[in-house]
Amino acid sequence: MKTFEEKWTAWLDGELSGKELVEFEASLPDKAAAEAEKHDTHKLGALLKEQLSAHALSNEDFFSHQLRERIVRENGPSREPSLEASTWWTVRRLFLTGVASLALFVICAVVVIRDKNPGEQSQYLTQILNARVDPAVSPNATISMFETKEDKVTVLWVEGLQSLPADYAAK
Amino acid sequence: MRNCALLLAALLALVMSVASAATQTVWSGLVIAENVAQPAPIPPELIRIEQTLKALFGYNQFQVIGQSRKTLKTGEEDWLASSKYFALHVDARGETEAGYVLNLKLYKENDLLLETDTKLSKRSPLVIKGPQVGGGQLLLVLVVQ
Repeated sequence: MKTFEEKWTAWLDGELSGKELVEFEASLPDKAAAEAEKHDTHKLGALLKEQLSAHALSNEDFFSHQLRERIVRENGPSREPSLEASTWWTVRRLFLTGVASLALFVICAVVVIRDKNPGEQSQYLTQILNARVDPAVSPNATISMFETKEDKVTVLWVEGLQSLPADYAAK
Repeated sequence: MRNCALLLAALLALVMSVASAATQTVWSGLVIAENVAQPAPIPPELIRIEQTLKALFGYNQFQVIGQSRKTLKTGEEDWLASSKYFALHVDARGETEAGYVLNLKLYKENDLLLETDTKLSKRSPLVIKGPQVGGGQLLLVLVVQ
């Protein structure tokens, strides 16, 4: 035994016939309104069928290819490097890298200092800025200065200081 | 954990070596150079420049009659190397990249014989020819050790 809703749906779809159709239409309180509603329903159905039908893709292969590449880009690379990074930088490798960097820095520093030296070697030798003797004590004193090449000794040579007896060599 | 300890030890050694390099000792000496028949061994502080001293001054013996060894921390220290009659006053007036700026004054008892300002390099000793003393010569020597 069909319910009224089932018969209504079948009537809208034009699936009732014969005695069943006559009995159902006789049971309708306002047949004109029901016919109008049936007409509207058919109209809406046609409209939906027209608008919601899937558009056929004209370049399916290209679309699929792009989609696959995007999935690989987003998923693939982000996983693998993180796995690698977590295993490669061990404490031992960090330590060795640090030592190697330090050694490289020292080598560079030595090279830079050696390159800088030849032109400015005098900067690293002892320099006499000035020298004076008391003219009242040593009126004939003269002062000169020079550097020896072998062991880079800077010499302040003072001549004419008052000579002293041997007793002054005492400790 | 063991590697961390090694890393820490290496860093500590580096810091200590840098810190020790920052402090230098200056040896200052009053030296009598003379010619004798049997020369005494040269003092260890002068071994490095022995040949230069002999060639420059023509003596075969160098004896230290007064000395001072000063460790410089700030580069602003002063000190005295003295013998019975002579005194060398050294006044450090700052540190440069190459060494120290020093003011030197040589006194004979209370008389100022010589005054000089110098930049003493860590790589280059300073020798000052002082007065004739008997048959020998007074030398002032400063070395950064």
